[in-house]
Amino acid sequence: MSTATTRAPSTADPSKEAQPHPLAGSAIMFRFMVRLDRTRAIAWFAGVVGLVVASAVSVIALYHTPEQLANYAELVHGNIAISAILGRGYGLDDPTQGAVVMDEINLFTFIAVALMAIFFLVRHTRAIEEDNRADLLRAAPVGRHTTLAAASTWVFTLVLAIGIGITVGMVAVGLPTAGSVAFGAATVGIGLVFLAVAAVTAQVAASARAATSAAGAVLGASYLLRAVGDMREGWLTWLSPLGWAQGVRAYADERWWMLLPLFASGVLLLAVAFVLSTRRDLGAGSFAQRPGAPQASRWLSSPLALAARLQRGPLIGWTLAIVVTALFMGSLADLADTLAENEAIAEMFALTGASATDGFFATMLLMTGLLVAAFAVSAVLTVSREESGGRADPVLATPISRTRWLGSHVAVASLGSALMLTLAGIGTGLGYAITTGGTGEVPALTSASLVLLPGVLVLIAVAVALIGVAPKWSSLAWLGVGLSTLVGFLGETLQLPQWVRNLSPFEHLPAMPLEEFDAAPFFAVMLVALALMAVGLLALRRRDIDRT
Amino acid sequence: MSNAISMRRVVKTFGKTTALDGLDFEVATGEVHGYLGPNGAGKTVTIRTLLGLLRQDSGEVRLLGGDPWREAVPLHHRLAYVPGDVNLWRNLSGGETIDLLSRFRGGVDTAKRDELIERFELDPTKKSATYSKGNRQKVALIAALASNVELLIFDEPTSGLDPLMETVFQDCVSEVKDRGRTVLLSSHILAEVEKLCDRVTIIRKGRVVQSGTLDELRDRTRTSISVATARPVDGLDTLHGIHSMRTDDARLHLEVEGDNLDAAMVHLAGFGIRSLVSQPPTMEELFLREYGDDLDPQDAAEAKIGGRS
Repeated sequence: MSTATTRAPSTADPSKEAQPHPLAGSAIMFRFMVRLDRTRAIAWFAGVVGLVVASAVSVIALYHTPEQLANYAELVHGNIAISAILGRGYGLDDPTQGAVVMDEINLFTFIAVALMAIFFLVRHTRAIEEDNRADLLRAAPVGRHTTLAAASTWVFTLVLAIGIGITVGMVAVGLPTAGSVAFGAATVGIGLVFLAVAAVTAQVAASARAATSAAGAVLGASYLLRAVGDMREGWLTWLSPLGWAQGVRAYADERWWMLLPLFASGVLLLAVAFVLSTRRDLGAGSFAQRPGAPQASRWLSSPLALAARLQRGPLIGWTLAIVVTALFMGSLADLADTLAENEAIAEMFALTGASATDGFFATMLLMTGLLVAAFAVSAVLTVSREESGGRADPVLATPISRTRWLGSHVAVASLGSALMLTLAGIGTGLGYAITTGGTGEVPALTSASLVLLPGVLVLIAVAVALIGVAPKWSSLAWLGVGLSTLVGFLGETLQLPQWVRNLSPFEHLPAMPLEEFDAAPFFAVMLVALALMAVGLLALRRRDIDRT
Repeated sequence: MSNAISMRRVVKTFGKTTALDGLDFEVATGEVHGYLGPNGAGKTVTIRTLLGLLRQDSGEVRLLGGDPWREAVPLHHRLAYVPGDVNLWRNLSGGETIDLLSRFRGGVDTAKRDELIERFELDPTKKSATYSKGNRQKVALIAALASNVELLIFDEPTSGLDPLMETVFQDCVSEVKDRGRTVLLSSHILAEVEKLCDRVTIIRKGRVVQSGTLDELRDRTRTSISVATARPVDGLDTLHGIHSMRTDDARLHLEVEGDNLDAAMVHLAGFGIRSLVSQPPTMEELFLREYGDDLDPQDAAEAKIGGRS
């Protein structure tokens, strides 16, 4: 009411009247985002804080005498492979429980929070532009910076909550307060950096998916820079936000000033994002779209071709990421013998077999396999987005059956996965060849990687089944990937019960080259995948096609 | 003449909402049929049921002589559809999308496609992400109109088009009709319906409230009459079908239902008609009557309807 009366009279500067304050409506927008995110925010908070605390508890249980701690330090210190994977490790000259906990879990924590920040920020900025919701919001009396301001405030709030949760949790399990605050603060810093990175990519990239991928690529590059830097305690680490966050040295004579580059770069990137956001149109990237072909090329004539075309970018991006990871991990395998002597690492990477190198290979192939699964699930869930985005109707109103439509997307995800697994095996073998000089392991590693295909297919099939049976809940398919990752890497550390571990399809597949190939579980898991896919395909034929 | 579309007592519910509530609806082969109703009346649900995207809870649906749920694939060879909300693949250009959808339907008539692209003034090289709503609609319209099918189903196809393009669309539909095709056109634009449609069906709350040619609908609606008589009129209220009577100065204004017009005239003549103005119901009045909850015609005349006329 009052706004109407204050706005009506003419003032000296009409241009000021026409434009709302750049931040107008931010508070309302913020509350709106909180409302939209209630469930997923709570899930992320509980998941991250819960996992971090649970891992800390189990690490503490593993190392509680001075001898055990010294033993750990001796094995880890200067171990190049461990430094590459986990970080160079601070305070291990005279190790405390806190320092060991940090060495084991802080990098995973930072990566999880960074991913969360990216997902949430893109979701509230770029993604809403794609279905015209942003136009509606922009048309309301909100400022041009409102969406970005509210989104970054909201994501920062979430990151801050997790940081506080972690600090409280660490203190609660008996670790020193100063270090716990430092760990929490570094977590918040990493969250800020990556929400800001996502804020920038959301302005630059051509679509929400591209924005998420670009921010994810920055995270991947940060990991690699740090890994290469940490191997020889080199300076490359200091180009990586993950390196800074670890460099805060929680529980190891904290270097508080290392928080400065984290927070400063976060704020700076956010400022860049705000500037960029004023220089582009809604729905467009910072770069002009190239014109497309006036006609479709001859091969673009089937639902399979359409599905492949829609996955073209992700296929290229994920393949690159997986090949780089495989090459890098393969190049570390020669060092695996020393890894196996570290009990916690040995557990995490399942290096229990006769050959530590083979165990390392098996674990690394599982890791790339899970990356492949992430691609595959995201590719199949395209179907859900096609349906809710109204792009299923025009296709299904042509003589394309539902089975063929969904089947095409499943085929692209499955064939893409097979290709990526093959390349992951070859890449690991070639990476190993870099350090050892022989390419003899390539065939064995390639088949070892491909043996994981039924596992990936099960995770694809879970998505297919959900799409058919419970389309509104199809994104729960990510739980399959999350659970498999948890079982694969923290199953031993967290002492997960066997029935939980059995939920991961990879748990049943032979961990080659550590274990021998076994046809029975391979085909059994394959059968489960096919059965779940059949359920999804049949269910899709019986239900309504949703549009909302 | 056989029916291209026939729906009998079709019920479709979503949870507690009833979208179609015993719908009876027929479209004859070869006609252009207007399908009208207020927002949320069930037009899109009807169309999506006809396309086999939704399955009715009960009732019978026949499309081109088949069951659209069970025989979706063979039936879809014979129809083309343009959704009301056209969403396209952001990375595909308009031209690619037209070709893709046409190929799904069995092939591209490149000459026809190029002609339509010209007529609709579409730039086929732009990525769909950069198209406006109107341009996205053009893409879907060109893909549909370029195909050689028996039945075209349009769900509010011109809601994003400018008046010039609307005319192009109307011309295209006329051509389609001349070739004996059947068209189901859901629309809010009354002028478009008036110009193109042989018959119209009006639905409200999932039920058909009127169906017939426009003339038939007009006959069933009220005519406004303004009359000056030698002697004051009385006894009109004993007649049926008289509404909104009021007097100002020396004139009497009233509305008469079509069926009662004759009786009303006879009655009025008894009082010595000096002058008489009669107005047939406008399209707006016709539709507002069916759309609203028994809108008073006075209000109806003042109310604005979403479409142009």
